[in-house]
Amino acid sequence: MSSATLSNTAIKQPNKLVLWFRYLRRNPSLTFGLLILLFLVIFTVYGLLTIDPKDAYPLAVRSKQPPSLEYPLGTDFFGRDLYAAMVVGMWQTAVIGIVAGALGTIIGTILGFISAYFGGFIDTAVTSICQILIPIPAFLIQVVIAGSIDKRSVTIFTMAFVVLLLAWMGPTLVIRAQVLSMKERQFVSVAKLSGMTSLGIIFKEILPNLLPFIAAAFIAQVFQAVFASFYLAIVGLGPVREPLLGNTIWAAQTQGAFFNGWWWWPIGPAVAMILILGSLALINMGMDELANPRIRKSE
Amino acid sequence: MNYRILTKRLLFLVMVIWAASTITFFIPRLSPRNPVRERFAELARTGGFSPEDLEAIVADYSTRFGLDKPLLQQYGDYMWSIARFDLGVSLNKFPKTVMELIAESLPWTIGLILITTILSFILGNWLGALAAWPKSPDWLKNIATSFVLFQGVPPVLLGILLIFFVGFRLKLLPLGGAYSIGTVPNLSFEFFIDVLRHQLLPGIALVLGSVGGWVISMRGMGVTIQGEDYVTFAEHKGLGPKTIFRDYYLRNAMLPQITGLALALGNVVTSAIVVEGIFALPGLGTILFSAIRSNDFSVIYGIVLFITIAIATLMVVVEFLYPLLDPRIKPQ
Amino acid sequence: MIRKFKTISALIVLLSFLSLTVLSTSAAQDIPDVPREETLVLGWSLANAVVDSTNPWSLPGYTHQQGNAFMWEPLYYYGIFNSEEIPWLADSMEYTSDDFTSLEIKLNPLAKWSDGEAVNAEDVVFTFEGQMNNTTLPYHAAFNQFVESVEAVDDLTVNVTFKIPAPRFKFEVLTLKFDTGIPIVPAHVLGEVENVNEFLGGLDIPHSGPYTPIVWDLTQKIYDLREDWWAVEAGRAEVPEVKRIVMSNIEGQQMDNIAQRIVNNEMDAALDMRSSVIKSIVEQNPSVTTHSGDQPPYGYLDWWPNALWMNTQLEPYTDPNVRRAMSLAINRELLDDIIYENAGITTIYPFPLYPALQEFADSPAVKALEEELQPGLYDPEQSAALMEAAGFTMNRDDLWEKDGETVSATIQAFEQIHSDIVPFLVEMLRNAGFDSDVNFGADAYQNMADGVTGLYMFGHGASLIDPYAALELYHSRYSAQIGSSAGNNRFSRYSNPEYDAILDEMAPLGADDPRFQELAAEALGMYWTEQIDVPIIQWLHRIPYNQTYWTNWPTAENPGLGVNGAFWAHTGMLVVTNLESAQP
Repeated sequence: MSSATLSNTAIKQPNKLVLWFRYLRRNPSLTFGLLILLFLVIFTVYGLLTIDPKDAYPLAVRSKQPPSLEYPLGTDFFGRDLYAAMVVGMWQTAVIGIVAGALGTIIGTILGFISAYFGGFIDTAVTSICQILIPIPAFLIQVVIAGSIDKRSVTIFTMAFVVLLLAWMGPTLVIRAQVLSMKERQFVSVAKLSGMTSLGIIFKEILPNLLPFIAAAFIAQVFQAVFASFYLAIVGLGPVREPLLGNTIWAAQTQGAFFNGWWWWPIGPAVAMILILGSLALINMGMDELANPRIRKSE
Repeated sequence: MNYRILTKRLLFLVMVIWAASTITFFIPRLSPRNPVRERFAELARTGGFSPEDLEAIVADYSTRFGLDKPLLQQYGDYMWSIARFDLGVSLNKFPKTVMELIAESLPWTIGLILITTILSFILGNWLGALAAWPKSPDWLKNIATSFVLFQGVPPVLLGILLIFFVGFRLKLLPLGGAYSIGTVPNLSFEFFIDVLRHQLLPGIALVLGSVGGWVISMRGMGVTIQGEDYVTFAEHKGLGPKTIFRDYYLRNAMLPQITGLALALGNVVTSAIVVEGIFALPGLGTILFSAIRSNDFSVIYGIVLFITIAIATLMVVVEFLYPLLDPRIKPQ
Repeated sequence: MIRKFKTISALIVLLSFLSLTVLSTSAAQDIPDVPREETLVLGWSLANAVVDSTNPWSLPGYTHQQGNAFMWEPLYYYGIFNSEEIPWLADSMEYTSDDFTSLEIKLNPLAKWSDGEAVNAEDVVFTFEGQMNNTTLPYHAAFNQFVESVEAVDDLTVNVTFKIPAPRFKFEVLTLKFDTGIPIVPAHVLGEVENVNEFLGGLDIPHSGPYTPIVWDLTQKIYDLREDWWAVEAGRAEVPEVKRIVMSNIEGQQMDNIAQRIVNNEMDAALDMRSSVIKSIVEQNPSVTTHSGDQPPYGYLDWWPNALWMNTQLEPYTDPNVRRAMSLAINRELLDDIIYENAGITTIYPFPLYPALQEFADSPAVKALEEELQPGLYDPEQSAALMEAAGFTMNRDDLWEKDGETVSATIQAFEQIHSDIVPFLVEMLRNAGFDSDVNFGADAYQNMADGVTGLYMFGHGASLIDPYAALELYHSRYSAQIGSSAGNNRFSRYSNPEYDAILDEMAPLGADDPRFQELAAEALGMYWTEQIDVPIIQWLHRIPYNQTYWTNWPTAENPGLGVNGAFWAHTGMLVVTNLESAQP
């Protein structure tokens, strides 16, 4: 009697991509967030390829023009092409967000790991420092720093740095908490029993399970960085000549844009900012679900 | 009352204050600006004030404020005066002391913040809990989600839009300020209403932006709890959904929220401060920004320190509230 | 539990409201009610002044700009647009010698302080001697330089003797106009005070002006009219119709918010606006007018024409060719077009074009120099040629470089008044290869005074009727070394004996002297050749006058006493006391 070949009657698993799509369908906030973000990325990339960056600076084009075919977002008082300004501004905002966000997450992950894994004095030190620094209102400190440094040295990168300085504590504590809980759980002990090296445990067991949290922390950090840089720019503490979204709104405010009827000037960056932050928040909310397997809806 | 824990918490508080004051002490001083000099220079520019020897006068005042001593010594003096609750004199608005400035502006900031935080806390938590509760209708869940999107709208933008459209074009609410121009604070009912009218727009701007945050975290919490055993147990007991929601679900979801409340206060403070600028409210934020613009060290420290102490104290107090709400939790 | 939570939150809300009211009313006061139709509401920044500093000699918090000008009066005022002296506390002030070394002042017999004491020679002598002896007072330097002695001949007459000829002293120092000049202070009050610099004054200090402060806090200042003002009885003025002045603090507020208040009739006047904003105000509210009505430039010429100053003792600004190259990079026509709607605001002079000065600028000698030297030329090619000749080469970023350093053209400026023009200047300089940026920080002024690298956007607050004061800004006696601060806003630190010689010869001459005119033209020519700084714009005060409640503002059509309409200037008192109610 021939053994029934299972291949004919094996249940075919849909491939990973299809699984992902199905999941996205069940998690609307994550989907929407990602879609908006995708749109913004495409906008920026396409923009960067098609515009002349010089147009984002004053005296580039005719000033105070309302939106038209030639200037889709209009021009401002200083003669910037607002479409070019938006594209460059988005790019610069993304740079700040990603640089500060990535650095913050990396620092947080490393510190969190070290702290939880090795425990003892290091753990107490790191945790205490984090806990002590958290109640200090970060924005105020950032404002003080930004207000004290020489205006000529304010660039996109100094802004990212200023934002980063007080942002790394959150991820540190979160990652630490997760690593701690994993330490307790079975699979770490099992791995230890089976003779895996410490390094191996870190990379093969802990890290993969941490990825969702790291990702979530990254998103949250980017959100914070973008938010903080936006706020600093909006009160005029950013690198004034650059077309950062916050700067554009600040410039529009100081020149009385709404009042003078140049409504198109602050609208673009405002909408862009709302979309950026909104999408990040949605993704954050979606990641929440992803990270908590209990609430994942079933098909 | 567990004294050991109390001591630990108090120590924590002291450490936070120390960290905050040290940071705010060193940063402005790292720049070569001299606020006393700038103050005189500004007066010179606007008022035809041009004494023969500006430098001598500036030096005199610098000595008076101890600005010519070595940095470390100034730090020591500063720490000592903090311990005595003496926040010093404003360099830019002397002879007003920092305490005076804070006392005059604090009521406005407190009023605004407390009202908006409480309102958005309540609103956000209800919405968030409802959003996670599987039995609530879809439209409610969508409203909750839309508030999340609002999170991306910085209160600043909202404020600008509100002033322009509601205040200027529609003339429904005042264009800013704490009370009408020309009125002097007094104990009348009219004044109270006047103040209230002036708080509305800034309040709306702040609330709309922060509700979203509460919704997310509450929903997150709610979502975790749903899987918890006691909710399932309650369901099995046959308790109606409303009761379960109220007495089991909401209450347990609330717990970590309260710590979040203290932290969120920090966030709201910063939003409020920027919004104060737009609405010309004479609160802490306006004073702080004015101080930053003129690099007035004492006021900058004083206010940042004050806010930090307030938030940290609140956190500690809140931690002791935990047992009241859930006897299972022991303070760690 | 939820109930408990609700109760707690309700309690907190209630508590916060209560605390808000209680704390804010701790400053509660009761002031008499004055209807809006009798109140003048002004928007101005109350930053920097010390609360309650009403004593003009108090240090350092005193400024006349925030309403104190309504309290203190001078010997003479000046109506710039009528080119007329306005005798006030004094009936006459005449030089009694041909070489301008003695001056006789006769006071008005009816002048009185608010406490009833007469304003007499004793006060004048006290005021002058105070300036002479107290090194911290604003005009000490001027008194020290010129005044030999002051003597009261009788109760109403004072004789001043000068060390050297002082033809401009009467105008510059003893007449109040714009923001210069000295008021007369009460001897019987300040003479009794131990330390006159520390004495704040308080709200009830005896003063001669018509308004008395009754409220002064961080949000506003309120002044009420006193009916016993001496000027009415003396025939100098009618009883003012403005019974109360409210000066609302606009410190840190955005320009359009203030503009909105004007349009909504919440404010009657405010600080001067930028060109586009004032245009919108006038368009949106027909009751609002300006000095030039509803036509560009929507304002009047102020005495503070702006230029890009630089420290001429600092490399590379030591080279006049580099300075000239910068000037050649500025396209003044374009600025006029974009920012000022072609209202002809850009300038080539370091002084405002008031009638007397316009005459000077139109004189054949000056016109010939203009033809020859082309001070307002825009020529980027010539600019490049000059820079190359000076030893600079273009680097990879399209910036001029020599010995590894670019030419810093960071412009120190003031955000509230320069936010529209400076970004354009930055861009123009960048396009011409200068490493340009802007600093709107609060340290901008300090940087100017310290003479740091870069350019300073600042005005020439000097000449009003003859070019001497403006030209004197570049006399080497003010040119302190780098590292010390430039006194009295003379940032150029220019030092040229030839130039000094011209000015020294001008000093003792009256403005009508033909030799004076000759020398002035020569000095101006040198200013242009040497390009000591880069003149950019005449300064305009685009002040909105809201006529819903008050009319008879001083405008081009209705000059009245000929003073400028700035309520914050010394002459603001004359503006306010001449307003008429628009409401029946």
